[in-house]
Formats: sequence, structure tokens, C-alpha cells
Amino acid sequence: MTRASRVLIVAALGALAAAVTQVLDPGGPWSALVVLGAAIVLGEFFLLRPGRRAPLPLSFAFVMVLMRAASSGDFALVLLGALAVAFVLRPARSMSARLVTTASRLVGAAAALGVYLLILELALRPDEIGVVLLALGAAGVVQIGVDDAARMLRARHLSWSIDGRLADLALVTSGMLMSVAYRGTDGTEGMGLWAPLLFSIPLLAAWYSYKRLASIRRTHEQTITALSVVPELAGLARSGHAERVADLSVALGDDLGLGRHELEYLRTAALLHHLGHLCLDDPEVRGVPIQPSEVSDKGAEILRRTGYLSAGDLLASDSASLGGQILRVASAFDELSVGDAAFADAAVEALFSGPGYVYDARVLGALERVVIGTAVPARF
Amino acid sequence: MCDHGAEDLPPLADHPEDRVHEPNQQARVTALCAGLGIAATATAVALGARGPWPVLLPLLTLAVLHAFSESQIAIPHDQLASSAGVMLCMGAMVVFRDSESYLGPMLVGAAGCLNIPHLMGWEWRKLLFNASMFAFAALAGTSVLWFIVGSGHAPPAELLLASLPAALAYAVVNLVLVALVIALATGQRLLAMIGLVSKEYLIYLPFAFLGVFLGELYLEYGVVLVPLFVVPILVARQAYSAYLAEKEQHEATVRILIGALEAKDPYTAGHAERVATYVHYIGIELGVPASRLERLRLAALMHDVGKLVVPNHLLNKPGKLTAEEFTQVRRHEEVSFEILTRIDFLAPVARSATTKAGEFAPVADERDQPIEPHIVAVADAYDAMTSTRSYRKALTQEIAFTELQQNAGKQFDPRVVDALISALRRRGEVHGRGHEAAVHHEDAPEAGTGSAGLGDLMPDTDGSKVAR
Repeated sequence: MTRASRVLIVAALGALAAAVTQVLDPGGPWSALVVLGAAIVLGEFFLLRPGRRAPLPLSFAFVMVLMRAASSGDFALVLLGALAVAFVLRPARSMSARLVTTASRLVGAAAALGVYLLILELALRPDEIGVVLLALGAAGVVQIGVDDAARMLRARHLSWSIDGRLADLALVTSGMLMSVAYRGTDGTEGMGLWAPLLFSIPLLAAWYSYKRLASIRRTHEQTITALSVVPELAGLARSGHAERVADLSVALGDDLGLGRHELEYLRTAALLHHLGHLCLDDPEVRGVPIQPSEVSDKGAEILRRTGYLSAGDLLASDSASLGGQILRVASAFDELSVGDAAFADAAVEALFSGPGYVYDARVLGALERVVIGTAVPARF
Repeated sequence: MCDHGAEDLPPLADHPEDRVHEPNQQARVTALCAGLGIAATATAVALGARGPWPVLLPLLTLAVLHAFSESQIAIPHDQLASSAGVMLCMGAMVVFRDSESYLGPMLVGAAGCLNIPHLMGWEWRKLLFNASMFAFAALAGTSVLWFIVGSGHAPPAELLLASLPAALAYAVVNLVLVALVIALATGQRLLAMIGLVSKEYLIYLPFAFLGVFLGELYLEYGVVLVPLFVVPILVARQAYSAYLAEKEQHEATVRILIGALEAKDPYTAGHAERVATYVHYIGIELGVPASRLERLRLAALMHDVGKLVVPNHLLNKPGKLTAEEFTQVRRHEEVSFEILTRIDFLAPVARSATTKAGEFAPVADERDQPIEPHIVAVADAYDAMTSTRSYRKALTQEIAFTELQQNAGKQFDPRVVDALISALRRRGEVHGRGHEAAVHHEDAPEAGTGSAGLGDLMPDTDGSKVAR
């Protein structure tokens, strides 16, 4: 089932249920609660996926609104209903994965409600806007925290990263805004359902942008990787050479403390370091063998001309930068070890025994640590 | 680009001195900036003297946010990467309505000039121009909004409706002043510039609506809700900017490939871009949905990637290819296919890179036959015929059309051929002998067999027909 059909089903069911409750209980709170429940289900299908951060469902914001809109009993009822519908419609991975997700949502929402009520309980003036916002903000953070914890538990690995947390910020602030505007505080008049409707627009815009970003990023990575195998398809390099040199270069750069951007340039330059070879005339035609420096310089020229200045500079044969040195060592290592781990020691030894001015001593040190030491070259 | 600061538009982009050539134009731009600055200051002083002064807290909050959001413009010229400036100005118009302090929205607007690169480089003309331009735009919007709504309580619906003409007034001042400074700086006609920038006016409206809500929420709940309102919008915009930046990087990578191809075979300079253009024309003509046009464009740009594996001397060989050489050259299709298949986005149209793509086979179930490969094949053949190659001079457009039409239904999809011909005729474009960009290949033979174009691959016997 596509997302579009799931969204349509939930929207139709939600509208129908809201209409029925409206007829059964005119003017009562239930039709609004049903709509919020539908919003929670829909929010489960719209996941913010910023870069390396794990997906973050928009439903967290609507749970915050529901907290503000319903009594605890009604909250539990609507939430359970919404999670049940979401469970059925959730894009199926395994049954157990769906169960785990649903359980973590339940725990998250319950914990969030607990924190929210506790803060309002402890506050001297629970109607003060600052207090309400604090309680809502805490509830939002708790939901995200439970989600993170569940993920770590499942991966059996403790890890937390700041990457992509702007999305969390947008989600929590939107949820706070929707909730406060829904009911108002301290005698102010609320906007009702208009609040979640209106203030989910920026979240949907963010969702869309992250989606496009992820897709173009994947296409970009695949394009570079595809280009990197052309020299191999042309028989100019051993199969997998570019990929191995790229992995090793990044591992060496990481060991030597290069930053994230520098590592990215290094990876691009490493993947494309044989590209120049394709543009040179055949040795038989020109009568002179091809020098490695010609290959790098031609590649550097192309990269620079097409706007990859930093990567081009790394590739140039006269590059004195650390990245350039890393690239040279990684490429030479892969040539010597013919891509076979069994020859790694011999290759390192051969590189060390060469004249000192050919390869940078720092990089050779890193090579020894990365290749011979326990470290397995880390994927970037 | 919700607001056009002077940053948004090419002529005053980072190095105005590059664009503003004549000292005369320089002087006029300076005079305009100074004049606007003086007028804005005088207006502000007059309004300040008449009072009342705006309340400090909302003024500072909105001004800081405006400055921040204008500084954030990562990539101008794109709709959603727009600044939220009009929203903040509209918010100020609502917030200061009760106190009737015109100075409030004006100062909030002026704060939009505080763009960090401009400040670092002390580009005083841009700072002055943007400050006065935003101030006047905000003042114009304010006057309209307050005139319509009046002071005192107004229902939100009325405010929302009134925000439309207010945003229009804001936009008119904004656009006209920016168009004026560009026209002065570049010597272009003012009306043409207004036409160019006014296309983006529609994007003001949703932000103007949001601004009304911002103002109302501020009045209702105080300053604490303003960041909650603005942060998600800025995050969404940041995400969109990141997307645009990554897209730009991807374009650069595709340019690497094209650059490498052109380094091998100078005769094909511009070929990939031209095929991409024709493919776009055909796609529009055939009503290919926008989501697939992008895929089509990339497939066109990359369709020759496999030629990277063909040795240079074969690619540029002026005479006929031997059978062995021919096999070697033909391998490029296989490689292109393999490369495109490795990219998920392009895999469905990977056949674009093979001659089989061109072989038109009417099938019962058209859904299984994406039309993209046929489009690339026709565009590729057309460009191969109408540009000069190492083995022959360009053919005229009419010969190329005839050739395509003769092979329509056999080698080419007739719908695609018709679409290309009518698109080019309608646009009045002429390609081919004497019209191609690379006219310096005077020594190229009149006809011959070579390898550079997909349509040219077959070993040729009579020499006069090229595309098969």
C-alpha cells in the first residue's frame, strides 16, 4: 500500500468517524478528539528523516495537542485507537518490528503525559503560559527520548548524536505551538483544530525537504560511485580499486583527524582518482607510457574545471596537503596489496622501505595503525 | 526570496563592481541608495517626532528575527528557500496596530538589511539600500492594512483578508525598488526587470497569512510564542537549502562526467547539454510529468558516459572503423547501460544509453515501455546530425528532420519525432550547418563514418546518410 492510499484511508475514516460523533453527540468534544486521533495516525506515516538521524514521526506533535485537548482517560482511549489503526496500516516490516514500534509509542506517550501532568501539578500557577509551555516542551522531549531509547535498546548499542536534531527542535516547538493555540491559556481563546492544521504546514514543508534531500543525496552518492567504476570497466584499474582506496583514504583521514568536510572531499577525490586516465591517449598511440602524475593531473584538471575545487586540489600530483598525501599512500597501498588482505603487511613494509620523500611519514604511521592494527577500515 | 533584498538578484550579487561597468551607472546606483536612505531616515524621524514610539520588546524580537532570517538566505532565486521577511513584517503590522506606531513595522523592516556578509564586507550601499527598501515596503503594507482594518478589535478573518492587499503593497514597493536598482546598475529596462522579479510575487501570500497569525499569537500570548512560531519555519527552510546545496553538488558531479567526455572528444562539446535541452522540449511537448522530466534530463546528460571507456583515437577517428575497432567502440553502450543501472533514480531509463533504445517497437502494453529512452534516442540523433563531428560537417536542420521522419516508426518513435520537430519549429530554433556553436571545425570532412554519435555508429556505405 502506498503512502497516498494509507493517507486517503485514514483521512476518509477520520472524517467519517468525526461526522458520526458529531451526530451522536452534537457540540461534544469527541469529534475534535477523533480528528486529533486521525492526525496522530497520519503523523505516523510522515517521518522526518534529516540526514543521518533516525526517522522522527510527526505524530509526536499531535500527541502533545491531544494531551492538552483531552482528559487522561480520553487521551488513553484516543491514543490506543490511533495506535491500533496505525499498527494495521503501518508499512509492514516484520510483525515484531511493528509491535516494538507500537509499544515504544505507547510508552513514550504515557511517559509524556505523566511528565506533562506532573509539571502542571507541581506548578503554583498551572495556567501560566510559561508553565504550560514548559510542560508541553518536556512532554515532547520525553517522547523523543523514549523513541531514542527504544532504538538503542533494539540495536543493543548506546549512541547519541546531535546530527539532524534541528528536526527535533522543529517538531517540539510546533507541537508546543499547536497545543497552546488549540485551547489557549489563562482565559485566552483557542483556535481549536485550526491550530494543528495551520502549524503542521512548516513540519510538512520540512518533511518534504528532507525527503528530497535524502533522495538527491542517494542519487549523488550513486553517481559518484558509478563514475568511479568506469576506469575499472575500461580495464585501467583492478576491480574494486576506487572503492577500496576511498574507504582506506577516509579511514586514514579519520585517524589523522581530518574534519567531516575534508573527509567528504577526500572520498570524492579518491573515488575519482583514476578518472583522468580515461582522458589520456593510449600509450601505443602516443608512443610514451602514461605517468601516474599525468593521470592525477588530468583528473585534477577535470575536477577543478567542473567546480570540485577542493577535491581537485587533493588529486593534483603536486598536492602538498595532508589529504593529497593520504590519497597517494592509499592508492599505492592498494596497488601493492592487489586488494588482498593477505598482502597487506608486505605492502605496508614496501611503502615504508621506499625513499622518505615519496610518502608522508604521518600518513604511513596512520596506515600502519589502520591496516595492521586492530582497526578495520571504517566505512564513511 | 520572499523578500528581494539586493542580495537576491544577480546584478548586485556579491561583487557589484563586476557587473556595474560604467562609472556613470555606478554613480547612479550610489545616488539611488543615498537618496533612498535619506528619504527613509527623514520619514522615520517625522514619524518618530509625531509618535507614538513602538513598544520595545516586540520591536526588538521581530527586528532580530527579521535580521536573522534575511541573513539565512542560503541560496537565492528559489521559491521555498525564501526569507520569512514578509511574514515578520506582516506580524509587526498586526502587533503595532493598536498603538498606531508606524515606526514599529518600519524599523522591523529596516532590520532586514542586517545581513552578515554585507556587514563583514561593509558594503554600505547594499546595507543602505536594503534598509530603506524594506522600511518603505513595510510602511506601505502597514498603511494599507491599517487603512482597511482601522484600530481596535478586528476579527482574524478580516485581518487575513486585509493582509492580501497589504502584502501586495509591500511587494510592489519591494519589487519596484529592487528592479529599479538593477535597471540602473545594468542599464536594462525597468519594465523588463519588474516583469522578471514579479513572477515570484505569489509566494508572498502564504507568508503574509502566517504573519497575521504570528501577530495575533503575539498579542494573545506575548513574546514567548514568537520563537515557537518562527523556529519550525526556519528549520524547514534550512532543510530546503540543504537540499538545494546537495542538488548543486550532484550537478557538479554530472559536470565532471561531461567534462571528462569533452576532454576526450572536443567535437562533442556541448552535446550532452544540447540533448538535455531537446529532451526537455520533447518532454514538455508530450506532456511528460514534471517529476519525470528531471530523470529525463539526467539520463540525457549522462547517456554517453560509456564513451569514457573508448580509446581517444577511436572516438576521434576521421576514417572508417575496422570491424575490431567497431566492436570496441560499441562496448560503450554496454558500459553506459551498466553505469545508469547503478543509479536507482536512472535505472528505469538506463536503456536511453543504448541503440536499442531507439529501435522503436510498438507494444501492446505501453506502461512497460517508458518513453524516456525513445526521447533520448531522437534528441541524440538529431544533435549528432546537426553538429559537426570529427568525421563530417554538420547537416542542415531540414535534412535532419527528413532523416528522422523517414525512420519514424522503424528506428524512432513517431510521436517523439513529431514532438521534437514541432517544438523546434514553434520555438523558431534552427540548428545544423552554420548554426552549430562549434563553427571552428572548418577542416572536418563533409561526410564519413565515425563513432561519436549514437546515431552514427553503423559502418556506413554510401556516406551521405548518417543517422541510422
